[in-house]
Amino acid sequence: MSASAAANFFDGQTSRPHDATVAIREPDALEVEVNGERFHWPLEDGGMQWERSSNTLRITFGEHPRSVVLTRDAAFIRLFVQRMQRAGRRGVYDRTLSMARQGPLLFVLGLLFLAVVGYVWVLPFAAERSALLLPTEVDRQLGQAAAPELLLELWEDTARSAVLQQFGDHLALGDRFELRYHVVNDEQVNAFAMPGGHIVVFTGILDRMDHSGQLAALLAHEATHVEERHSMRMLVRQGASYLFLSLLLGDVNVVVALLAENADKIRNLTYSRALETDADLMGMERMAQAGVDPEGMVQLLELLQREAGDMPGSLSFLSSHPLTEQRIIKARERAPQLTMGNSRQPELDRLFQQLKERSTTPSP
Amino acid sequence: MQVFDTKQRLSFTGKGGDLFVVLIVNALLTAITLGIYYPWAKARRLQYFYEHSELDGNPFHFHGTGREMFIGFIKAMGLLVLIYAVFFALMMSMEPVLMMLAYLVLFGAILGLTPLIIHGTYRYRMSRSSWRGIHFGYRGELKELYRIFLRDGFLTLITLGIYGAWFQMNLRNYVLSHVRFGSTRLEYKGDGLDFFLMNLKGYFLTLITLGIYSFWWQRDIFNYYVDNLSWHFGEGRRMQFKSTATGGGFFKLMLGNVLLVVFTLGIGLAWAHVRTMRFVMQHMEMGGDADLNLVVQTEQEHSSAMADELGDIMDIGIFL
Repeated sequence: MSASAAANFFDGQTSRPHDATVAIREPDALEVEVNGERFHWPLEDGGMQWERSSNTLRITFGEHPRSVVLTRDAAFIRLFVQRMQRAGRRGVYDRTLSMARQGPLLFVLGLLFLAVVGYVWVLPFAAERSALLLPTEVDRQLGQAAAPELLLELWEDTARSAVLQQFGDHLALGDRFELRYHVVNDEQVNAFAMPGGHIVVFTGILDRMDHSGQLAALLAHEATHVEERHSMRMLVRQGASYLFLSLLLGDVNVVVALLAENADKIRNLTYSRALETDADLMGMERMAQAGVDPEGMVQLLELLQREAGDMPGSLSFLSSHPLTEQRIIKARERAPQLTMGNSRQPELDRLFQQLKERSTTPSP
Repeated sequence: MQVFDTKQRLSFTGKGGDLFVVLIVNALLTAITLGIYYPWAKARRLQYFYEHSELDGNPFHFHGTGREMFIGFIKAMGLLVLIYAVFFALMMSMEPVLMMLAYLVLFGAILGLTPLIIHGTYRYRMSRSSWRGIHFGYRGELKELYRIFLRDGFLTLITLGIYGAWFQMNLRNYVLSHVRFGSTRLEYKGDGLDFFLMNLKGYFLTLITLGIYSFWWQRDIFNYYVDNLSWHFGEGRRMQFKSTATGGGFFKLMLGNVLLVVFTLGIGLAWAHVRTMRFVMQHMEMGGDADLNLVVQTEQEHSSAMADELGDIMDIGIFL
């Protein structure tokens, strides 16, 4: 039997405190003595509950209204907790908590390490995997929902769109998705692809091209975005990291949340750059398969680099397609490694000329 | 009315380091379970605050469990998903009339749920709180709460917000006066006009002093909340609460907390919480002719945590 410890007893009937003593009576009972009366409670009994806060042990018994014993005797609390833990009543929480108490600094550092590993490696990997598990139908639906509204706001040149569609069909870039091409009257030197298959080319970039290889490269680049489902992967990745950060930083202050948010943006930018390079290189493979010289990609990128020089920053292709210099180097390295399929060059040249002749805005 | 000498009987014994460990373990378990652990984390956090709040040297206790809060959380999520499903279904119709109706449904649901959230949260929290083994309880009626919301909400709208002060006081009077602690009850007696004038004065003085008066304004609000609160034991016996907070005290508390949180990139949050709790408890003195030993157990246990979780998700602060 342990030495008895001073305690307060509340009978669950009134708020009156009673002086009491508690002790562990081996093998398996708690002995409480109140006002000269003694009672015993089996330690393994489900009707007995206990909680320990920093310096108080609280034991309750029976059905509602339960009686309560409170003690602050440190030696008794230690003994009692040890005894109860021997009985195997220690959950994940208590184990984690005692770990955190033993070495708070080490625990926090370990946690930080886990969070960083999760954020940098595990999370993107899992997000990519789950994005690719989504049926391609999701991309199609997403594109179908967004395309009509977007095209309504843009000034489409339907006659040239039809020619571009023929040009694109000759390249046969679509595999999983049916690709729809649109020419839009806009001075921006840019083009974009929507998930599910809509590819929009601005006249600003079209008018600055001087041979069909560049256009083939542009379409191959954008088609790669569609076929490899880059938007979907980006969306799922961003969603996942946003969820992760908001869960982790839910209760933390604004400064940290702001820092994390910006770090997240930079990481997304890095990822979108990686996707652009992917679209270049895989686009070149698509070009080669379609019988077009992949050198066209190098020339397209060089065109973009030239144009970026005399365009205001916000309008330039560079803002969404950065680091052109490095992309050119990579494309140059890749081009000679590819073997071309059967050439449809004459047909492409003819369509390209048609596109140029119909030009409404004179090329500079 | 009789005036009593008051003294400090409430205290907060929590420590920043201990709370920090609780919060960091919560964050870890919540993150690795992708948020599912949240209700359990909330239970742990509430338990910490209750266990370290003491009246006459005896701690309060929070009986709520993560399990019941998790069930409430699932129910609350279900309700919100349902509301949003109706909203999006109506929006997808692309019919202008139905789209208008969609917004009506959404805002109607959010406004309509507020009294339910306050009511349910008080019922749950109070039934899960005890001191010296005696349970708290909430005996307010949902119907009455809706009546206050409809009437005062309408009046606040047509007076361009001025009536908001009366709204707040009517709500506080009703809710707090229906809190039971065993055989005893709380009572709050706030007056809309007093509260309005106090806030008006605080607002203009804060403007004139470029924000410096805000700490004294904060003190006035705190005092108004504490000084009008009393605890009734029956047969005319009662305990009266009295605030001893000062503007300077609020200045020190708030400035300290901001520095603590900002310069530690959020790690100091636990310490800031502890400072705030200590300040609040220290400055709520009590005095009266009632005997705290004579409270008799009366309340039954009440179980649904749904409203509590709903309020959490919708970010409605319920502790008036």
